[in-house]
Amino acid sequence: MKPLMLHGHERSITQIKYNRDGDLLFSSAKDNHPCVWYSVNGERLGTYEGHQGVVWAIDVDWETKRFMSGAGDNMLMIWDVQTGKALGKIEAKTSVRTCNFSYSGNMALYSTDSTMGNPSEIFIIDVRTVDSSFSENDPILRIPLTNAPKATSMVWGNLDEVVISGHDNGDLAQWDLRTGKKNNLVSEHAKSINDMQLSKDGALLITASKDCTAKLFNAETLECLKTYKTERPVNSAAISPIMDHVVLGGGQDAMDVTTTSTRVGKFDARFFHLVFEEEFARVKGHFGPINSLAFHPDGKTYASGGEDGYVRLNQFDQSYFDFKFDY
Amino acid sequence: MARRKENDRAQQNNDDSDSNPNDELEDEPNFDDPEGYEDDISEEDLIGDLIRQRPKETDGVESIVVIDGVPQVGTERIEKLQNVLRKLFQKFGKITNEYYPLNADGSTKGHVFIEYSNANEALEVLKGTNGYKFDKNHTFTVNLLTDFEKYNDILDKWENPIPQPFKEQGCLQYYLLDQDACDQFSVVYEQGDKVAVYLNTQPEPSLLEERPRWTETLVRWSPLGTYLATFHAKGIALWGGEKFQQIVRFSHPGVQFIDFSPCEKYLVSFSPLADSRATDEPQAIIIWDVLSGLKRRAFNADKSQALPIFKWSHDDKYFARMGIDMLSVYETPSFGLLDKKSIKVQGIRDFAWSPTDNTIAYWVGEEKDTPARVTLLELPSRNEVRVKNLFSVADCKMYWQKSGDYLCVKVDRYAKLRKDKSDIKYSGIYYNLEVFHMREKQIPVDSVEIKETIQAFAWEPVGTKFAVIHGEPPSTSVSFFEVKTGQTPTMVKKYERKPCNQLYWAPSGQFIVLAGLRAMSGTLEFVDTHDFTVMNTGEHFMATDVEWDPTGRYVATAVSWWGHKVDNAYWLWSFQGRILKRVALDKFCQLQWRPRPPSLLPAQQIKDIKKSLKKFSAQFEVKDRLKMTKASKELVEKRRKLMQEYEDLRKQKQEDYDAQRRRRIELRNNVDTDETEGRGGELEEETVEFFIKEETTFIDE
Repeated sequence: MKPLMLHGHERSITQIKYNRDGDLLFSSAKDNHPCVWYSVNGERLGTYEGHQGVVWAIDVDWETKRFMSGAGDNMLMIWDVQTGKALGKIEAKTSVRTCNFSYSGNMALYSTDSTMGNPSEIFIIDVRTVDSSFSENDPILRIPLTNAPKATSMVWGNLDEVVISGHDNGDLAQWDLRTGKKNNLVSEHAKSINDMQLSKDGALLITASKDCTAKLFNAETLECLKTYKTERPVNSAAISPIMDHVVLGGGQDAMDVTTTSTRVGKFDARFFHLVFEEEFARVKGHFGPINSLAFHPDGKTYASGGEDGYVRLNQFDQSYFDFKFDY
Repeated sequence: MARRKENDRAQQNNDDSDSNPNDELEDEPNFDDPEGYEDDISEEDLIGDLIRQRPKETDGVESIVVIDGVPQVGTERIEKLQNVLRKLFQKFGKITNEYYPLNADGSTKGHVFIEYSNANEALEVLKGTNGYKFDKNHTFTVNLLTDFEKYNDILDKWENPIPQPFKEQGCLQYYLLDQDACDQFSVVYEQGDKVAVYLNTQPEPSLLEERPRWTETLVRWSPLGTYLATFHAKGIALWGGEKFQQIVRFSHPGVQFIDFSPCEKYLVSFSPLADSRATDEPQAIIIWDVLSGLKRRAFNADKSQALPIFKWSHDDKYFARMGIDMLSVYETPSFGLLDKKSIKVQGIRDFAWSPTDNTIAYWVGEEKDTPARVTLLELPSRNEVRVKNLFSVADCKMYWQKSGDYLCVKVDRYAKLRKDKSDIKYSGIYYNLEVFHMREKQIPVDSVEIKETIQAFAWEPVGTKFAVIHGEPPSTSVSFFEVKTGQTPTMVKKYERKPCNQLYWAPSGQFIVLAGLRAMSGTLEFVDTHDFTVMNTGEHFMATDVEWDPTGRYVATAVSWWGHKVDNAYWLWSFQGRILKRVALDKFCQLQWRPRPPSLLPAQQIKDIKKSLKKFSAQFEVKDRLKMTKASKELVEKRRKLMQEYEDLRKQKQEDYDAQRRRRIELRNNVDTDETEGRGGELEEETVEFFIKEETTFIDE
């Protein structure tokens, strides 16, 4: 089926996310305006105006009440989804690289870059009482990553008891929120972890790394279960909520793009069987690397956002559901 | 001098015995041995190290040379002779002593001893004057005095050298015994850190051997496939046999290029950096005997020469190199010049051996009024079997057909010539293909003219066709010509505007791959030249190499790290252009098929096999199918196991998930979200009718 092309951003897409219901799709890009779209027809509902820099990360809570965005203007902003009004903002010392709501939606985490002498830091904040007085100074927990690789991607785990951080040297760390201590560290990737996403039940974690692989981890123990190999840096990976499939998206760094052909399919979204690690399908479309991928919660559609500035909503054909591996 | 030294030493010994130290030191305790004491320690034990340093009678002898062949003169002319000789030998160092043995009548004996101040000078004399022609009748023979001793020591009786124990190498041709006649290929990857040898089985190539740091740069198979050569800073190593054990090593520091002789008897190694600083021995090019590992002969290299410097005849009997205005042909196993002299060829530009006969083709450039010419020279008789004069020649290139039936000379001809002082400018270049029919009487020559630039030329290895890419890229055309006896070659097919830059014939002919490599982004076209059908087209983006397997069943295309830094991979295709396998390897450098020696079957048997191919192919197909099902069975088995493991994990996870249900609900304000996920997308369809417009139309009657 012909995909829906959402062209509302002027620059490359940085992250896309569905809400829990799957009726809305949120997207952020290197222009300063995160957008929200109707996922069913690709109509743009509105934008969230206020950032003055590249928006790196976005998230929406489970009730689709609040929307959060972290940006290169050193701001973390929390918005009312419905009205698009900023409820509160936190000014950080450096750019905000990641932000995530917890399972309950009562807490959120964000992490900052290490620049200008400031270390990369992870903050846990309470968002129930969000208002204009909000500031960096009153987090629930603050973990400075002094002399350590910066956090490039984060997720909550085990029903808000832990958070898992991916780092730019390929390390994966698990932090216990009750103690604020690191309780697990694995180094499976050789290069920066670009994206992490959980399976629907939160039991599995997929990482996308610049070392051209995506890996599947047990989210509780951080045991590496599977590896999906490609020839290109992987920017994003997602686990299907209904099938044993994963989808990987990525591509060459912008500087190397001229030496590769789009025809050979390096900017494709690539589908792997979750268990067999075998690639079984590719979806073409973007004419630049894919930066972010997300499955619709019903597993019948997936969205990809690319360096080319487009968000594409692809609906699976019947043949996708009919295809079975022999075993 | 030696004698004098001896005297000196005798003198000194006497002095020592004269002076008794005990005379002067009376109050010292007596160290003398008691009377009748017998020393049971030998001098060797006591002062062995000093004894070894004791001066020998022959010390200093190394600096003496003996000159033979000096004129015998009487007493009256002895002084004159001495003066002449002194003048000559002083050039090499300081003469400290000279001795002219005399006969009873005072005439010289015809040999002279000269001593220099050190041994190095004596060596210089040896180099400089041995074989010196003193006059018409006298030639000097110069030797070191020590050499006489050396040659004296040679036993009169011949002792047979002890035979070296034979080292069992196993069957080096084992790879030809493969049941399914699969071919091997070598792969170099990770920038040369890793080398692997695979057997090209279907559907998956199987790994035979993989070694880290097997080579430092690349690997090469010998022409018949017996050995695998690896390159190291210190030299070359050859590997072979079932386990790829080391067969032999050739030490040649800085070696960069090697070349096997066609029958694998000899190996030529070339080290462009090696110079003969230390010795006079040439270092740059060394020819080795492969079986014994011994050095056969070394040569100096001329920097400007194109590789390979030495070209071998098909049977390893001769090898040749080109010099300025000459062609030097050497013969084996003596490694001397054939008939002891090079062949004078004024203005020789290039040469090439026939792949099947001891015939050399060379061409000579234009010189003033004499035209350029191509000559076929038979060896060792040096008969010029054919000479072809050519006019207005800018350049020539010679292409032998692999079966040696034809030679094609591509002649770049010009319409106008302009000389600008030193450099010559040609204009109006056009091309002639001169085809020599080697198997016919008198070797007739036919010529084809092509107006456009020729980009590539290739003979069908077995057969009578050749292919030419001509025109300016990207709008090049490919033409196929057929050569017939007594006729000019006829064009049998022309593909207009086929963008490609390389031609790769299958080793057995008929099939050809037209490839657009590198700048042409790796387009591939598989053509059957029997009826000129394009069997398939493909693309391996940025491919740098195309390699047919030795049997012509498979084609490998590769993007080498040496040529292109990303997407390094090799792909395997069937000869019809069906993609079989894509293998991406990090920093993949090189793929090489292991060559096969020519078939030993007589022609009749090959014909019979070809005739009954239908019968065989049915069998092979059954076999292939069996293999495929077996492979898929294995795969299914593997998948089933993986799935089982995963199911176990998922079961456990599901239990955990169910156990946490209460907590999940608590966290989300007592709202059960487990079942409602993703429901928002399901919209109910609603039909709304609008009244848009009412229109009345009158129908004209």
